[in-house]
Formats: sequence, structure tokens, C-alpha cells
Amino acid sequence: MSQFLDMFLIGISAASIYSLMAISMVLVWRSTRVVNFAQAGMALLSAYIGYELVSRTGNFWIALPLAMILGAAFSAFIEFFLMRTLLKNSSQGPIAAIAPIIATLGLLGVIHAVLGFIWGHGDVQLEAPLSKVGYTVGDTTLFIAPMGLFVIGFVIALLFVVTILFQKTNIGLALRASAYAPEIAQLSGVRVSGIRTLGWAIAGAAGAAAGILQTVNGTGAINPDSLEFSLLLVFGFIAAVIGGLESLPGAVLGALILGLVLAFVQIYISGTLVFIVAFLLLLALLILRPQGFLGSKVGRRA
Amino acid sequence: MLKKHPLITFIIFGFILFLISNRLDELIVYHGATVGIYVIAIASLILLTGYSGQVSLGHGALLAIGGYAAVLARIHYNAPVWLTFVVAVLATAVGGALLGMAAARLSGPYLAGTTLALAIGLPSIANQFSVFGGEQGLSFDIGFPPASLGEDFTQYKWYFWISWSAALIAMYWLRYVLHSRYGRSWRAVRSNDVAAELAGIHVGRNKVLAFTISAGLAGLAGALLGMTISLVSPGVFPLLLSFSLATGAVLAGVTTLGGVMIGAVILVAIPEIALAIANRYGGSETIITNLPGLLVSGLLILTVLLVPNGPVEQMHARRAKHAKSGKASHSPVELTVRVGSKTWSTKK
Repeated sequence: MSQFLDMFLIGISAASIYSLMAISMVLVWRSTRVVNFAQAGMALLSAYIGYELVSRTGNFWIALPLAMILGAAFSAFIEFFLMRTLLKNSSQGPIAAIAPIIATLGLLGVIHAVLGFIWGHGDVQLEAPLSKVGYTVGDTTLFIAPMGLFVIGFVIALLFVVTILFQKTNIGLALRASAYAPEIAQLSGVRVSGIRTLGWAIAGAAGAAAGILQTVNGTGAINPDSLEFSLLLVFGFIAAVIGGLESLPGAVLGALILGLVLAFVQIYISGTLVFIVAFLLLLALLILRPQGFLGSKVGRRA
Repeated sequence: MLKKHPLITFIIFGFILFLISNRLDELIVYHGATVGIYVIAIASLILLTGYSGQVSLGHGALLAIGGYAAVLARIHYNAPVWLTFVVAVLATAVGGALLGMAAARLSGPYLAGTTLALAIGLPSIANQFSVFGGEQGLSFDIGFPPASLGEDFTQYKWYFWISWSAALIAMYWLRYVLHSRYGRSWRAVRSNDVAAELAGIHVGRNKVLAFTISAGLAGLAGALLGMTISLVSPGVFPLLLSFSLATGAVLAGVTTLGGVMIGAVILVAIPEIALAIANRYGGSETIITNLPGLLVSGLLILTVLLVPNGPVEQMHARRAKHAKSGKASHSPVELTVRVGSKTWSTKK
């Protein structure tokens, strides 16, 4: 029973981080029809910025929102200077379909190299601000610790804010409209290009939060070559695809499914199989139900 | 000449390479061998992306499959060298066919994500099973060059000969395939899959076939890469290798095989340039480890931004424009599909 509870808690806390990553990919996909593979690099960069801010200010609670703001600014910068030029230049010819994808890949490489230049290839340590020793109930120690609880709570709060933003405000309406039908949105007076940049900025903030929370909830070690962040990208992508790559609730649902399945594999079968299971899940899903579970059915595919 | 007698051209090119290899010093011959390998790998990526319109961001993973297949055949069955390459091609082609069956149903971003996931995850899989030798990998020893080639025939020259023979044969064959019915079908599928299907082309089957052939070539390149490094390990096929191949393909121009050499030479030159720059600035460790990655990725972004169709294609386009304003237009093979009154064409 306690093993099952552990599995559930591991799954939920992993899922909360995957869902941030998935949300940032979905937002970018919705606003520019690009899957941003540089998201892993951006999350890693934010983790490093978080580390620098913590060592300067000495306070994690200031560093987290600051790093999210910086992440948003960086993401908007990328959209404004790289993606706009790119979509304008390579809009025709056989390269058009793959140019943005390849550009984000290049961006991932550039970020990795720059991180290596600045912080070197050794680990730096971002200490968790809360205890990571699990709560005890009676004789058993649960898996969940104050840190993990904070991660789950913080992500739920962020999801709440994003939902309010998208459903109850004019900006949210503009974001949804320009994702759904850019030309009609433009005709109704929405400044689509600005809204796109805003979409990227929100995605950048979510990705930054994912990067920092993943670090403090894990070992705390940050390394430019870390496999952990590359896997975070893969799992975020899989979660987004489960949800249909279009829908924000879908991304959260996908992250929950993926987190629980992977936690189940890790506890009951073997930790070495986690990646293989995730990959097979992705393949099976893409073959059986490529539109995801909450995505739109008809061809709004690039 | 190249157009009329490709076989003769290829033989002459091979002979020139042979003459050159006798005159250059060891290190350059070794780099030359690597250029041959990249030629195969980039050509396989171009075949997949430029001709059949499927993106692969994880070609390094396919190279890794080939490398491991070859080294396992060598170690466990003591296969002769040529047979290890055949095993590599077949094993990777089978893997590629399986992946291709899934890939044929996917479009752009989904396929890109899936292949990227494979390139990220495959090394970690290799680490976890003792058959693959873990982090240290398995050493790939092809033995000394045959004694009949003479006393002073070096190991590197032997690598050079093997990799360039493989590259020339592969490129000759690939050229043949791309000019055959299959090549035309692939281009039709890439340009407009609905029109292609209406014209009687089986889209799914053609995509899987392209993926299979591309994977086979990538496997060959992987085995050759393992040979020149004498090692097959996760570190030989890092994520950077996939990035580099994408860069090479974009630099070569994804729609034409003509630029393959440019891409391959640049990929081999980049670490050397990085080393030269690093030495200039005091040989610092951080520069040596990070500069190649920065150059590869930076070049990738710049190429996509400035000359999205590759420098060679750009030049062709410019020349075609000039010629059109002058006299007869010189244009590469164009494909036009007509259905009823509608026309789809690769022409602008």
C-alpha cells in the first residue's frame, strides 16, 4: 500500500514539472506553429540563472520569480529576433516545413555551448530551500517532502493563473483567437504578431519554472550536458502530444498520464526501462491516435 | 561529363583520391577518411529530408545502431571486416524500416520530436546493458591492412581507402536510385502527397522505403565511424553528432546531392578550426570543449536564416535567374503533376 502511495506521489510531482514543460511547448506551438526543441536549453539556462540569483541574493523566493521573468524576456527575444526573421525568409521551397524546427535545434546547441563557456562542464549546486526529508505518518516515511509539496502547489497555482489569463481576460481571448484563426483575429483588430511574442514569453516563464523546480526537486546539480534536462524535453513533448499539442488542459492531462505511467514502471518494474517505455508510449500514441486526446480532430496540422 | 557518364566520373574521382592519398601526410589522410564517412551520413539525411520530405533530427541514433551492429558482429562472430559493414547496413535498415512505418504516418513536428527523442535516449539505453559495454563502449578492431599492399601502407591510409570506397559506391548507387522511378516518386510525395497519390504513387510505401534506405546508409556511416575511431561507445554518437549532420545537410542544401562534399568538409574542418582558435588564445580547455558545438549550431542557425536552401542551390537559383533574363533557361529537373485542370509543380 505504501509502495502504491509512493508511486502515486512520485508520479504527481514528476507530472507537475512535465506539465509546465508541456504547456510551454503547447503555447509556442499554438502561437507560431513551431515545436520549440530549444526549450530544454532555455529551461537549463533558467536553472543556471536561478543558481546565480540565489547565490547573489541568497533568497530562493526572490530568485524563482525573477528567473521566470528573465526566462520570459529571453523567450520573447528569441521570437522577436530569430523566429520572425526565419518565418519571413524561408517561407517557400522545400526547406519551409523544416527550417523552424532545425533553427530551434541550432538554438539548443548554441545555448548548450554558451552555458559550457560561462559555467564550465562541472556541476553547480542549486540548494533546495525546503527540506527534502519525507513526512512521517506513524512508522512509515512517505515519499512526499515539503519541497515536493511546494512544487505541486506552485504548479497548481501557476496553472490556475494561466487558466484565468486564458479564459477570463481580453489578452487571453486574443491569445486564443490568434492561435485559432490568425487572419480573422487580425481583421478583428488583434495585433497577432505582438500576441505571438506574448505567447512565447508565457512559454518562457513556464519553461523557466520547470527548469528550476526540476533542479531543486531532484539532486540540485546543474550541468550543461545533463541528460535530465534532455529527458525533460522529451517527456514534455510526449505529454504535449498525448494532449494533442493544441490544448492546455490536454498538456496537463498528458503530463499526469505520463508521470503516473513512468512512476509505475520505475517502482514496479525497473528504473532502466523508463525511457524505453516513454518512447514506446509516444510511438504507440502517434500511430493509434496522432491527434491526441484533447486536440482538435480535423486537419489543423502544419 | 558527369551527366553522361557517371560511372566513369566516379572512377576517375576515386583514382584522383587514390593518387592524393599517397602524397598527403597521415593526419590529413585520417581527416579525409572522416570526410568520406560524413559524405555517406549527410547523403542519407538529404535523401530522407530533401527527397522524401521526412525530417530526422536523430540521425546520430541510426549511426549508433550501425556502429553497434558492426562491432557486435566483429566481437561475437569474428566476422570479416566487409561482412561487419553488411551487417551494419542490414541491421540499421531493419531498424529504419520499423521506425519508418511509424514515421510514414507522422508529419513535420511529430516526426522531428520522435527522432530527437530517439537520439537523446539511445545512448542511455546503451549504457544500461552490458552487451553494449556501458560507458566505455566496445573496441572495434579491423586489424592491420593486408600485407600485399606493402610495408609502408599505414593504418590511416587503409581507413581512407575503405571509407572512400564505401562512399563512392554508396553515392553512385544513391545517384542511380534518385534518378530512378523511386527518386521521382519521393520528390512527388514531398511536393504534394495528395497529387502524388492521385497519380498512382503509394505514399506510405514510398516513405517507408526512403526511411529504410536512408537508415541503411546511416548504419554504414556509423560502422565506418566506429572503425576510424576504433571504438563504439555512447560518446562516439553524442547528440552533437545529430546536430552536426543536420548542419551538414542544411549547408549542403537539403534538396540536392551536389553539395554533400561541402557539408562533409566543413563538418570535419570545424573541430580543427576550433582547435586553431583555441590555441591562438592560449589553448584554454573551455574553448576547446565548447567552441565546436557553438560553431556547428551557430552555422546551422545562420544557414537557415540566410541561405535556407543551401549555398549550392542558392547559386543555381541565381544562375537560373540570370540565364532566364538572358537566353534559354537552365533549370534542374522539374516535376509537374496534372489532375484535371489543376496543376501541381515543383516549379516556382
